[in-house]
Amino acid sequence: MDNKISSGEPINEIEALQRLTQQVDFSAQYYGAWWLGRMRSKHPSAVPLLLSALTRVLSAPQEPDDLINEKVGVARNAARALGKLKAKVAVADLIKALDHPDHSLREAAARSLGELGDKQALSALVAHLQLRGAGEPVGNSLHLGEPCEALLEAIGQICVMNGLKADQDFQKSLESFQHHNRPVVASAACRALLQISGNSKWAEGIVALLKNSQLLVRRAALLDLAACGWRPAAEQIATCQVENSLKLYALRGLLEDSPDNPGPVQLGEREKQLLALMDQLL
Amino acid sequence: MNQQLNGFLLAVEQACSAEALVAASLDLAKISSQLPLNSIDQQAAINCLITLLATNNPGAAAIAVGGLIACKTAAVQAILNNLDEHNYGARAWAVRALAQIGDHRGLAVLQRAIEQDIGPSVRCAAAMGLGRIELAELSPEEKLETMEICLAGLKLGCADGEWIVRYAAVVGLENFSRNSSNSFAQACLLLLKARSQEAIEEVPVVRLRAAQALAAFS
Repeated sequence: MDNKISSGEPINEIEALQRLTQQVDFSAQYYGAWWLGRMRSKHPSAVPLLLSALTRVLSAPQEPDDLINEKVGVARNAARALGKLKAKVAVADLIKALDHPDHSLREAAARSLGELGDKQALSALVAHLQLRGAGEPVGNSLHLGEPCEALLEAIGQICVMNGLKADQDFQKSLESFQHHNRPVVASAACRALLQISGNSKWAEGIVALLKNSQLLVRRAALLDLAACGWRPAAEQIATCQVENSLKLYALRGLLEDSPDNPGPVQLGEREKQLLALMDQLL
Repeated sequence: MNQQLNGFLLAVEQACSAEALVAASLDLAKISSQLPLNSIDQQAAINCLITLLATNNPGAAAIAVGGLIACKTAAVQAILNNLDEHNYGARAWAVRALAQIGDHRGLAVLQRAIEQDIGPSVRCAAAMGLGRIELAELSPEEKLETMEICLAGLKLGCADGEWIVRYAAVVGLENFSRNSSNSFAQACLLLLKARSQEAIEEVPVVRLRAAQALAAFS
């Protein structure tokens, strides 16, 4: 038995690159792609290899391909890794990946476009949100027509990273998701709107979800408030029924990424209150 | 057995939703510290609170920890007897309870947790607890030995790979230095100074907390 490609063993960068390069074992490619992103590889071959793993599934196949599912799996991990590696060169291909039939690949591409923060991706992300049936469940599956949560978060993130403020022409499209029947999607819409407008009315919708009966919804709302650095919600975050580790992470977000105080965080009165909330959660 | 307690224990056992379990935990946590100290009833309540730590219900677990802390030293032996090696969520809550109670019998658990627990939230609770061990009842020799173990653990916590453990170690050092003699306080000062420097500590909120602790020092 070949032990070289057994799972679970720690590997190094060269091994990860080799696994992604070989064309025999797709589970090894899958792991190699994940490893390069997770470890923030700076190797010059990493981005080109990941790009080729992604683009391989973007053009329509010339003939039926029995291995397409495996290749798409690798492409998803490649899309995620390209975001983590801040590979600006991948923007055009990630935008193309938003059209792929595989929902999870579209979702991974949207998230990575958010991480890359390139303005050029905005119109494509908004366009997918506006597609007919984007917010409707597909048959009996858990998926919506489009990966709305990821699209909304990416739009908000790109606006933050480029300093784009209120009165964006696509604001109406985001607003149409504010009462979506899936609370995590509604929360993502409010998050993007809060990031863009700074208007506290969008925070209220998210804060209300901190008391939702579902743990997953409470977690998502908490992370959305953290992403916005929304300090007025600190006390509600501290008493929300989720794991303390998540609350501490969120409060750190409020301290370090508040839109009210750009620049390094200083020890003022509000900061002392936030630190006291963190201390109680240890 | 106390009839009311019996009803609360049953309610926990039979809770069929997350909300029902939270409500039942509240009742049980409230009554636990009011039962006769170290009675069979109180130990039954404490044992049930400990089972709540492993329910994957953060609301109920947080309430149970509050109940255990309110029972103070009466809860320590039962917590030590029931540490769950395979559930690190439950272990984090148990270590958090030990950390808040500050009983020296929990020291070995806190020490082992900061040294080698794989769960960051467990190491985090341990780091905080190492700054809060109650020393008043100890002989001078025991006191010195305990403080050395605490300081060594806090030093490890300051070098942990996870920011939250380093944050907790800073809070631990702040508490620890309050009731330390001069040489221990000096060691705390040096560790806190290091955590406040950008060249050493990359996470802004940890530096901020260290700066706050240093300001309290002078």
